[in-house]
Amino acid sequence: MKSFDVVVVGAGTGGYVAAIRAAQLGKTVAVVEKQSALGGTCLIWGCIPTKALLEHAHALKVIQQASEWGVTLPSGTPTINMTQVHTRKDKIVDGLTKGIAFLFKKNKVTWIKGTARLAGPGKVEVFEGDKQTLEAKEIILATGSSPRSVPSVTIDHTRIITSDEAIHLKEVPTSLVIMGSGAVGVEFASIYRRFGSEVTIIELVNRLVPVEDEAVSAELEKSFKKQGIAVLTGTKVTKATSTSTGITVEAETDGKTQKISAEMLLVATGRGPVTTGLGAEEAGIKMERGYIKVDELYRTSVPGVSAIGDVITLGTGVHPQLAHVSSMEGIITAERIGGKDVQPLNYDHVPGCTYCDPEIGSVGLTEAQAKERGYDVRIGTFPFGVLGRARMAGETEGFVKIVADKKYDELLGVHMIGPRSTELVAEAVLALRLECTVEELIKTIHAHPTFSEAVGEAAHAAHGAAIHM
Amino acid sequence: MPTPVLMPQMGESIAEGTIVRWIKKVGDAVDRDEPLFEISTDKVDAEIPAPAAGVLTEIKVKEGETVAVNSVVATIGASSEISKQEPEAMSAPPPASAASPSREAVVPADVVDQPHGKPATSPRKTNGRSATATKPVEDDSRKQRSSPLVRRIARDNDVDISQIHGSGLGGRVTKNDILGYIDTGIRDSGSGIRDDQGAGVSRTPGESRVTNPESRVEVRPLSVMRKKIAEHMVMSRRTSAHVHSVFHVNFSTVERIRQQKKAEFEQSGVKLTYMAFIAKAVVSALRKFPIVNASLDGDNVIYKKDINLGIAVALESGLIVPVIKHADEKNLLGLSRAIADLANRARAKQLKPEDVHDGTFTITNPGQFGSQFGMPIINQPQVAILGIGTIEKRPIVIDDAIAIRTMAYLTLGYDHRLVDGATGDQFMAEIKHQLENFD
Repeated sequence: MKSFDVVVVGAGTGGYVAAIRAAQLGKTVAVVEKQSALGGTCLIWGCIPTKALLEHAHALKVIQQASEWGVTLPSGTPTINMTQVHTRKDKIVDGLTKGIAFLFKKNKVTWIKGTARLAGPGKVEVFEGDKQTLEAKEIILATGSSPRSVPSVTIDHTRIITSDEAIHLKEVPTSLVIMGSGAVGVEFASIYRRFGSEVTIIELVNRLVPVEDEAVSAELEKSFKKQGIAVLTGTKVTKATSTSTGITVEAETDGKTQKISAEMLLVATGRGPVTTGLGAEEAGIKMERGYIKVDELYRTSVPGVSAIGDVITLGTGVHPQLAHVSSMEGIITAERIGGKDVQPLNYDHVPGCTYCDPEIGSVGLTEAQAKERGYDVRIGTFPFGVLGRARMAGETEGFVKIVADKKYDELLGVHMIGPRSTELVAEAVLALRLECTVEELIKTIHAHPTFSEAVGEAAHAAHGAAIHM
Repeated sequence: MPTPVLMPQMGESIAEGTIVRWIKKVGDAVDRDEPLFEISTDKVDAEIPAPAAGVLTEIKVKEGETVAVNSVVATIGASSEISKQEPEAMSAPPPASAASPSREAVVPADVVDQPHGKPATSPRKTNGRSATATKPVEDDSRKQRSSPLVRRIARDNDVDISQIHGSGLGGRVTKNDILGYIDTGIRDSGSGIRDDQGAGVSRTPGESRVTNPESRVEVRPLSVMRKKIAEHMVMSRRTSAHVHSVFHVNFSTVERIRQQKKAEFEQSGVKLTYMAFIAKAVVSALRKFPIVNASLDGDNVIYKKDINLGIAVALESGLIVPVIKHADEKNLLGLSRAIADLANRARAKQLKPEDVHDGTFTITNPGQFGSQFGMPIINQPQVAILGIGTIEKRPIVIDDAIAIRTMAYLTLGYDHRLVDGATGDQFMAEIKHQLENFD
């Protein structure tokens, strides 16, 4: 029986990062992964392929606007070739997964191909693939999540699909209905609308991207409508049927039902934990609604077994299913196992990046959340459109919104929608992490001409008046 | 004419006091002797009355600040004299040198031995709080990692960041740290007072904080009174060579007299307690053994002509020792009245500064909670303390027969540097004799 200090189950962004960090701290580490490549959902099914597609969409957008830029194209409408798109995308994904394999080698992390289950204290059995039983002083469960449907809709993977299929579509559907307007929903709406689909997005809640600040939701809806995306909020899908040619969705808004037909239905209603065959419950691990219950340092109820990433619940609100959260949880767990002094993660400081068009980047409390927590809130908003840099780029939608506490001038949240927002949010994350005041943000020089000027100006606005407004 | 309000001297060994709360605001009208502010010292928490009638025109020392005794803490004037200066904008309070040495300067035992009894003429090191309001906070922040938000909160709440244990990376003081600090500091002491040298409050590195959800401990700063008691007790242990003698005293005679005179005393509005009898016996023994009513000052013995009896009073949050002045001039009724009055006022925080001054001997009563006897620690700079065990009926042997008598153990804790066992025991024998043959 092979013996390791740490055995990690799952090689997604949580698992592989935890493995590397544990190895860096001198532990012998094995990672069991059932997929044929490393990287998990993020690399193979999620962030990386979708963002690759979004870059294609962006490229297409620029080319579509060629005349604005003074570029003369050969006659005809620019179109996208999906085969070439997938070739490029797959090359990127392939390169990145190989990069992890390289990092494993470099850090002497053993990659075991197969499916794992817990087999008693300190034991992990690989029962599929490279069958064997591993001995582990510490086990980290990082099995992740998979797309989850709702009871009224059955996924058939051809007409009624999930994001797993949506990244591989060989042809652009002429029409597409998307259920759910979280990150996955609005990103595919942006991609396929740009590629030429007629897109309808249906959201149960009364606004798009419900986790974001309400102002961001409103701005996105405005932009989506302008782009020709049909937006149905406050709408419930009561029935979805597929035929050989397409799908029909029955959607109910304010008690009124309408039928929407399209070529495909993308179900983007969320992701559920992957624990099938893991034997977590049999091993005595406490679960909650199918998720593995952990404490704030990611210990399960069974000593020597930790869990991180999409598969966990901390028992306090919704645990964000984000690659960067999983990675940080992996690092914290590995360092705890490695005997380092660790501190619990502050989930108020988790940035969210949504790569729809226009992009959304946000961190911290929304205005509504801040009010709910009893802060005396002050708001500062600055539109990108005022900035020289944004006009040059032809990206004038959106704004930066700052949510701050009046009493101590504490920065509570920064919400952006517009060009480069997913990059610009980094400054805000650091500001929150370092407990910045709005005053400090005002006094921070924002280079000119950049999109980041909007952050400084929003800070000014929170204190009364922006300079350029 | 504006009247300066001074930090009162609340005890002979006290060089400073902390303002816990201003009862009046700038601009408030005050009557003479109306409670003006609340202070906390090592001996007493007390409301301090206004020295004159008028309008509180200026507050020089903010809540939570500690200043030397006799420092000017406020000014009372006519209503037109309201100072333009806000307390926030105040500069440092007058240097501690303004404090005059206490009347007990001839008893330097406490000056020599007591760490907090440093001569008032040496200004204590002030920290960020008692000097200017904002600048020291910034200075502190350079010594202690924090964040813009923490510094802002510190400034608004007048908190010295260097006193806070940081739970962040590299010991950085985080928002939670400072809010927790302010929370516990203010809510638990009911005053917002902080320890001012930090020794009692600063947390050792690595110590769990409330903010760590894993922690099974909760860290709270000591109240000023608690900390001063702690200092005082340890200092006394270090200063004196404590020895204890325990006597078993028959209270039957006292009990008989008490029952006889009870009604008569009650008519005078006073409850006749054992304590009055004991005080009377102690006074008489002290007269016979003046060395027990003395202090040690280096190579000199200070004999005190007055007999001022301190009576320890347990409070919810600590302990106070108000003093019966000239106890030797009081009869049983006078002693009873004085004891009741001091105990009541101590519990109501109504003691006046002079009520805790100048004690020469202390009586403490652990017996009230059922203790058979206690081994009390001397109240410096005194040399002896009497502990009274519980008074109850016990079988004793009288003339080869077992009899039931009202009995109690009395304990004398005394300083062997000055009082030998023979003297101590003779002193106790005298008390025993007085109590058993009371008339």
